[in-house]
Order: sequence, then C-alpha cells, then structure tokens
Amino acid sequence: MNHGLTLKIGPATFRIGSAWRQPVDALARLYADYPPPADAIADFTVRLEPAGPFRRWVRPSIFITGDHGLADAAPMSLGHGLLAAEMGMNLQMALGWRRHLLLHASSVEKDGRALVMTGESGSGKSTLAAQLGERGWRLMGDEFALLDLETGAILPFPRLVSLKNRAIDVLAAEAPPERMGPMLAGTAKGDIRHLVPRRDAIGRMGEGAQPAMLLFPRFGHEADVRSVGQGEVFMRLTQASTNYVALGEPGFAALSGFVRNVPARAIDFPSGEEAIALVERLWEELA
Amino acid sequence: MPARYCQDSPDAILSCALEDMVLFYHRPSGQTHMVISPVPEILATLDDGAALTAGEVLGQLARHYDLGPAEEALSLVEMHLTELASLGLVRIA
Repeated sequence: MNHGLTLKIGPATFRIGSAWRQPVDALARLYADYPPPADAIADFTVRLEPAGPFRRWVRPSIFITGDHGLADAAPMSLGHGLLAAEMGMNLQMALGWRRHLLLHASSVEKDGRALVMTGESGSGKSTLAAQLGERGWRLMGDEFALLDLETGAILPFPRLVSLKNRAIDVLAAEAPPERMGPMLAGTAKGDIRHLVPRRDAIGRMGEGAQPAMLLFPRFGHEADVRSVGQGEVFMRLTQASTNYVALGEPGFAALSGFVRNVPARAIDFPSGEEAIALVERLWEELA
Repeated sequence: MPARYCQDSPDAILSCALEDMVLFYHRPSGQTHMVISPVPEILATLDDGAALTAGEVLGQLARHYDLGPAEEALSLVEMHLTELASLGLVRIA
C-alpha cells in the first residue's frame, strides 16, 4: 500500500492502507484530534485497493478489503474514498470484534450513565445521538455500542458521525464548520457528510458508562412512547448484534443482564426537536 | 414402553427469566431458545438427573398446577417433550 495511517477509536486500533493519497489525507484531517495509538500493533487492517487492473489511474475505483472483507462488495469511486475507509473500519468491527458484545446502536452519556438507541438505518438513532452530543450529552458512538462482558458497561466507539441527507443540514446548523467533513454526494445511501465528535467525546473515548435507558427511535411519525417487553427487547438486540452468537455464553450473560436491568421504550417523533424533548423527559423519568 | 426423557447434564442449560418469557442458553450447542410456560416447568421436572415418562412429568406438574382434563394435558406434555427433544434440550434416556 502506498499510503497509510493508524487510528485508535475507543478500544480498537486500525491500520488503514490505501493505493491513493486522498482518502488517507481526508482521514488524517478529520481524526487529527484523536490520540495517537500507544503501540504499533493494530487490531485490524483496512485496505483500499484498485478494483481491477489500471483502476488506480483510469476511472479510479476502490475495492474495500482488509482482515475481514466481503467478496461481492461494490467498488466505490475515489471521490468517496473517505466513506470507503469508514466503511472498511465498520466492516472489520462488525465481522471481527470479539472483546465486547457489539450492538448496532448509538449511545450518549450524561452524569456517568449511558443512553443506548438502536434501530434500522433511517430510524434517526445516529442523528439523534449527534444532536444530543451537541447539547450537553457526551457522544459515545453513532454506529456501534460495545457492551462489556464483565462489567455490563457500555464502552464508546466515537468514530466520525456519518450524517446522511437531511441530517447534514440539521447538524451543520449546530456544529462549527471545522468539525464537518467534505460533502460526499450521490453515494449508495444518498449524500453523506461526516461530523467530528466534540473534543471531550474524543478525549474520554476510553471511559465507559453503565447503561440506564434503551430506546428504539423511529423518525417520521407522530410523537408516541410505547413500552417494549423484555422478550422483544432481547430478540431485537440479538438481531442488532453482529457477534452475539460468536461470543457464546459470555454474550448471553451480558445481553440478558442488560435486558433485565435497563428500562426500554420505543419512541416515535416527527422532528429532531421533539425527539430531544422526549428523550430528556424519559431520561428524567426512567434513568 | 413409553419413552423416558432426561436432560443432557445438570448444567447443560442456563436459564434466565425475562418477564413472562424464559431464555434457555444451551451450552453444548451455543444456541439460545425463548420459551413460555409450560415449557420451563416441564424442563424443571427433569432437573437433578431425573429420567421421566410424559405421564410422570404430568404427575409432577399436577402437584403444583391445575392442568385441566388429564388426557389433554398428557398430549400437551408429550408434544412439548417431543419438541424439546428435537431441539436437543432433552434426550430420550
């Protein structure tokens, strides 16, 4: 690989190699505030390679691979190289992380306790976490929450927040421009712009928090709050975890403990402002 | 001779109650099962290494629960034991 960079995000260290300079330069700028890795040993390698012969130069096209990869992953344009690198890191975590139960969820912290939000893509969990992260909460992660198998704490994984479509303008109005990445237009998920978490969220990325509330957010509906039974919570969280089966009994113990101890609600909301008000109210009542 | 059912080993199954559901983590297979009453109660009769017929399981349950007409209750217990055996949570002794 001609160009490379090592990044530490939460407990995971990534070595990113690229055939092109541009994705590495973009990462270096956006991850400039992250502490340098303490040692040179990476948990995962991500490689951004030309999708075929000559594709380094002619209509440059990126194939994402690494320690773990998907053979049929669609190539991406060099203009989306930053996104490719982020997707490559996500892929390694989703397919290879075994030290914690990995939940496809966002998380934020206040007063030493964590709020976890999970839902499908488009549910609003990422945008909501990013907004809360600008309003007095500590952003722990917008994509993956790591459940500690021993202590039951949620550990941060505060990578860049991936803002999509309408969420871009919402956060651009709240966060300073120097924390926003370049606009990546016309990706497979629409327009994407990355947001660098606040400096305190980065500085405290080794600091976990006990989970105090779980929400299943759903954007685009009239405001509503519903209880969710523990059996349903357990089932939805096993679906939201990429490594529940691989972890075996420790994963079962950690997840069942989480479900028994953490109050859960499904929330619907028509706008970010209403969502934030709802979250603050539920946090006062339940957490 | 009616079949006798037993558990794999005393610690093969780890259970956890979640409101009205019970989770079984089956250690030998690594599989998680979600069940509701009367499955946990049926499985509990086979604790401590017991090897019981469906009729004996029913007898144990009848000490603690009102199960209605015996014939219907027996076929229900037989059905659940067959299912548990097919899942590998109990086996025929």
